[in-house]
Amino acid sequence: MSFRNYKEKIDEGDTVILYLCNNFFAIEVKPEIKNKKGELIENVYQTTFGALKVRNLIGSNYGSKVELSKGWGHILQPTPELWSLTLPHRTQIIYTPDISMILLQLDLVPGCVVVEAGTGSGSLTHALIRRVRPHGHVYTFDFHDHRAKVAQEEFQEHGLADFVTARHRDVLAEGFGDDLKEKADAVFLDLPKPWTGVPHAVAAIKNDGGRFCSFSPCIEQVQRTCLTLEQQGFQDISTMEVLQSEIKVSRKTVPVRDLSFLKHKGSENPVEEKPSSEKTYVVGTWPHSTPGHTGYLTVATLPPSFIRRKLKLTKSEECNGNPIEEDKNLDEAMAVDENKF
Amino acid sequence: MCDNTVKVGEYIVIQKQNYKKLHKFNKPNSSVSVGKDTLNLNGIEGTKFFSTFKMISRGKKRSKEFDLELTAEAVNLIEEIGLKVSGADNRNIYDDGRSQKLSASEISDLTYDSTKASDIVETLITNSNTFHNKTEFSQEKYLKKKEKKYFEYIQILRPNLRIITEILYRLDSSKVQGIRIDTLSQIITLSNISNEGNHLLYDSGSNGLLAAALLSAMGSEAKGKLVHMHPGNMSQKQALLAMNFDSEQFNKCLSVNVYSALRQVYQGCDTHTQKETVLESECNLKRKATDEIEHEIKIPKLDDSQIPIKDHDTDESNVAKKKPKWHFDNIAASEVLKNKVDSLVIASKEDPQNIFLELLPFVKPGRQFVIYYTVAEPLQNLYMILKSTSNVAALRLTCNWMRNYQILPERTHPEVMMNGSSGFLLTGYVLK
Repeated sequence: MSFRNYKEKIDEGDTVILYLCNNFFAIEVKPEIKNKKGELIENVYQTTFGALKVRNLIGSNYGSKVELSKGWGHILQPTPELWSLTLPHRTQIIYTPDISMILLQLDLVPGCVVVEAGTGSGSLTHALIRRVRPHGHVYTFDFHDHRAKVAQEEFQEHGLADFVTARHRDVLAEGFGDDLKEKADAVFLDLPKPWTGVPHAVAAIKNDGGRFCSFSPCIEQVQRTCLTLEQQGFQDISTMEVLQSEIKVSRKTVPVRDLSFLKHKGSENPVEEKPSSEKTYVVGTWPHSTPGHTGYLTVATLPPSFIRRKLKLTKSEECNGNPIEEDKNLDEAMAVDENKF
Repeated sequence: MCDNTVKVGEYIVIQKQNYKKLHKFNKPNSSVSVGKDTLNLNGIEGTKFFSTFKMISRGKKRSKEFDLELTAEAVNLIEEIGLKVSGADNRNIYDDGRSQKLSASEISDLTYDSTKASDIVETLITNSNTFHNKTEFSQEKYLKKKEKKYFEYIQILRPNLRIITEILYRLDSSKVQGIRIDTLSQIITLSNISNEGNHLLYDSGSNGLLAAALLSAMGSEAKGKLVHMHPGNMSQKQALLAMNFDSEQFNKCLSVNVYSALRQVYQGCDTHTQKETVLESECNLKRKATDEIEHEIKIPKLDDSQIPIKDHDTDESNVAKKKPKWHFDNIAASEVLKNKVDSLVIASKEDPQNIFLELLPFVKPGRQFVIYYTVAEPLQNLYMILKSTSNVAALRLTCNWMRNYQILPERTHPEVMMNGSSGFLLTGYVLK
């Protein structure tokens, strides 16, 4: 229940974050857990600094120090950011830099209704919930039945079930459902074929309009999505990517080699050809290996229905129901004007 | 979200193609300048957001004044004109400046005489020697360029955090301390702002952008308050006002002078003193006005009419005249600080070290802080100092990279110009 409200003390059943030497670990506070044989044993969490008896966390304060057998750590209350760093991955997840941009680009504020597909491991979902609660709602869908179930259970355990509805559904094939018709302020898609989801997004977004965002690793996906967005009446279509670099800060002591004394004949023979003194700087160094790409974010506005316009599709596009099937049809799509009827 | 019409007294965003302008719609019959044109806003009151208006030229030749007429939709130049003949490549096209037969003055007469941008552009195309030899892509690029110049439609939008951030950053990034949209988005998430909890912001000049961002993430039914500390009187808060927050949400933000608030917390007094006007670099009339009021409170003999009212603290309207809003905000803010806050955000022009170390004690253990600075060195120094203290954890110094893309069939590539500066963030957690 530790995601729901700010808390002072740790209760049984909470998920807590152990901070240890620049690393974070999520721990479920259960005094006993089942071992491989199915028997209940004492829950002991092993770390590089020794063992932690999880039972001892109950009743402690968030933010306090915990003793381990060979050192210590600190316990923090989980936030969506900490959860993204520590959650069990069922799929590739979206991290905080992209999540932050998505939240701002979708114009989300408390009270909004937002639709997400696919749920994946729930990384973005936790951040969406935080942003729209208490009166907003997140509807999230995944076509994988086990993942959808795990997500539902997780939201329940985290105390967030009031703010989110997680369902098993193939939204690209079936749409978001009649109960979400014209209900959403924003739609987010992280799916392999988001362009097929665009018409469903139009159906789900309110009459007064709303925002759309799609996250795609490949540029071909982005191209298809942008074309469909334009055809379906979206405006202000924009694609971007964001990356975050961490700067390592340290104190660097550099040797100083004095050469000015060479201008004059010196008494010392032979001359010491070594650095003679030192200088210390506080420096920031850039990492050697850093994430270079996560995905492209495509965002767009669906204006209110009174101003929405739909581009006329070519005859072949109308038959297929898909904007483009293969790359060669991209040329055809460009020649829309000539095929107007 | 509830009411979608344009109201007098609120801020609006005027969008012409990709250009957006923030404007306070003060009077129904007022004008605004958009680029080189002056638009009369008569008629937009009561219309729905996203309404499209056509710019109708007023009177005189070559004047740049326009009235607005509500239209169903803006016309897309490329669709209107329709490209028919084009070339394969540019090997035979020479740039001698003579491809357009019309002269500059003929073109500007044409602009005045025509009612549609497509007429103007079609005439230009007819009088161009090279247009039909250009490749299709080149023709589209030409049309896009002409569309930008002759486009005669605008759209009225409702301001929101995303649009305001883009407009202010593009206009003058130094007015918002160089906080780009990606960095701003991370300040909101990394500080865990939500409708829960009390939050503390120290901001010495982002035109109200940070307060607007945090307040918007807290929502109008926020359970807590945002203590917004700043040096001096808050004279510039355009971003905060442009959000058109209703009074319920706006009042969740307690804007206080940092000196007064801290003095209230530690010493319990609630007055500004003369000394501060000398210390602060900002000098404005509002400051002098509050000093005058403060003098009157201190020396009641100066004004007889105020003496009898002074005793009646329950008489709200007269007390408000006696003790200005900042007095109550100050007391409220110090109460919030004494009970400690759930997050700390600092975006200062001053060195962040003192500010952070002074405000750190007000943050509950286990909570996060975010410090923004335009350049890295002060944050690097602060990092080294904090690394050796035991009450902060998980220090991270980060900066962001952002790139926009042009997505067109067969012409997809990153945009040619990129913005390279977005400031730096130092984040971490407060420990017990």
